[in-house]
Amino acid sequence: MTQLSSPGGGPTPPGSLSVTMRPRDRAMSWWRTPTARRYVFGYTLLAPAVLYVALLVGLPFLFSLYLAMSDASVSAPIARFVGLENFKSALENAVFYTALRNSILFTVGAGIMKGLLGTTLAFLLLQPFKGRKVVRALVVIPFTLPIAVSVLGWKWMFDSQFSVINWALSRLNLIGGYGSPDWPVWLGQPGLALLSVMFVNVWRGFPFSAIVLLAGLTSVPPEIIEAAKVDGANFITRFRKVIVPMIAPILFIGSAFDTVFTLSDLSIVYLLTNGGPDGATEILPTLAYNTGIRGGALGRGAAISLFLFPLLLPAMILLLRTLRRKQY
Amino acid sequence: MATVTAAAPRTQRQRDIRRHVFIYLGLSPFLVIAVFPIFWMVITAIKQDADLYLMDAVPFWFRQWPTWHNFDFLFHNTSYGAWIVNTMLISFWVSAITILTAVPAGYALARLRLPFAENLGIGIFMTYLVPAIILFIPLARVVSTLELQDSWWALVVVYPTFTIPFCTWLLMGFFKTVPFEIEEAAMVDGCGQLGALVRVVLPVSWPGIITAIIFSFTLSMQDFLYSLAFVSVSEEKPVPLGVATELIRGDIYFWGSLMAGALLVGVPVAIIYNLFLDKFITGITGAAIK
Repeated sequence: MTQLSSPGGGPTPPGSLSVTMRPRDRAMSWWRTPTARRYVFGYTLLAPAVLYVALLVGLPFLFSLYLAMSDASVSAPIARFVGLENFKSALENAVFYTALRNSILFTVGAGIMKGLLGTTLAFLLLQPFKGRKVVRALVVIPFTLPIAVSVLGWKWMFDSQFSVINWALSRLNLIGGYGSPDWPVWLGQPGLALLSVMFVNVWRGFPFSAIVLLAGLTSVPPEIIEAAKVDGANFITRFRKVIVPMIAPILFIGSAFDTVFTLSDLSIVYLLTNGGPDGATEILPTLAYNTGIRGGALGRGAAISLFLFPLLLPAMILLLRTLRRKQY
Repeated sequence: MATVTAAAPRTQRQRDIRRHVFIYLGLSPFLVIAVFPIFWMVITAIKQDADLYLMDAVPFWFRQWPTWHNFDFLFHNTSYGAWIVNTMLISFWVSAITILTAVPAGYALARLRLPFAENLGIGIFMTYLVPAIILFIPLARVVSTLELQDSWWALVVVYPTFTIPFCTWLLMGFFKTVPFEIEEAAMVDGCGQLGALVRVVLPVSWPGIITAIIFSFTLSMQDFLYSLAFVSVSEEKPVPLGVATELIRGDIYFWGSLMAGALLVGVPVAIIYNLFLDKFITGITGAAIK
């Protein structure tokens, strides 16, 4: 019988079959087995991407740790090691605390607004209605426009004299005319300026929250919602006990992305106020840019931007854990 | 009988109409907030200069004839033409580098059952989240070592730091959906592993590759910090930076041409991005949905 020819009976993997047939191959080095060749091929294909990222993200990150502990500047290419001096001088600077406070306020405040608006919009877009595709395409415009482009539009709308917002408010008799004491100078008054930059961030980010949430909501099988309805769960209970746990991974990923990009975004504040008036809208990114590139103090700038890292870390860990938990 | 059957559809229709009214009412503030700034930018771009500053009349429409003057100004009095060319060339080279590295990497991670493939994939994706604001200072050194400061080539080197991670992740997800059988059939027919990839897998993967090219382009257009930090020569700037920095002279803002220049590239980018937005969202959340 043919079964006799295979030792040990049962189905034999092709690898061991060749061993019994051609004993010489047993001496063949591991590097020439199909598995090894697949690995070599695979890691060769991976190498360019991994090297690029390692050389231009990994190394620069380590290099920024080094720069932050040196007195490197644009004018003097040879840097001395200064230890934690740059971090210390940042911590002794009052502007740094304003920037840190604004960064956190900005990220948390805008994050809550984006969450609320995004949730409302997502539930509206979840309903079937006529023209849904058109509405969706229009409502995501803020997110799809290049950020520098839309911020310039807002700068014009926040103009101190020709602001269209003020024109409308004035026509509605909510404020007086130009020059009257209640005429808001959006980017020129400390409190208003901070609100304005946050508003632009919310404007840009709420479509993203809505679309991410929508992607999550549509991934929940309708049978599960129906089952919960049958069991007597009302809308709030269904949302809290069924929908949120099911879409939690997507919510985590979405908010991790949003947090990282909000916390590290320079362009809105840089273009609208550049930290002004009088440092009222200074955030860590603008402070790092103005110190490191404008001021030429690379070491001090690197130290300031590294203060962002502990703030970003929770978001990154959250993302990492969400992605890893999904690997079965 | 007749009245019942006639009444039933009418209430159904009424309910439907009422539902639509509620939804549109709920959506209208979102629509106004999302679209008004764009409308305002468009109308500013084609208004005559004097018309911009007439605050007594309703500013939402024209009191003087619309004009193309601002677009003329861009092309004749600024380096706008050069910025467009720079943007196109940057996008081309960034896409080329991204495709040449991310396609093989995505394929290897998705297909070759490599040890640590999942972790490597997550590792590469995580680098997408290391923000420019942490990397721009050390990268400034890299750029000056390569003697690329004040040249758009600096951006060609730097932009792949975010397009490669994102596109590798995107393509990894994409390659997982290509059936294994076609590859195995090719290998039975005598193709090597590379042959199977080039002759069989790549030809059916062009939708994924196009998506990756689109994102190399749109993500490059979203950048502001790198171009601001590395390129200060007017002729070498990409459009977003050029518009934001060169059309403002001291305290004088050329609002009309600012809006014209911003929209001329912003609108096409927004349209393309809009069409591919779902792919972007699946790209970043895909792992969580599956």
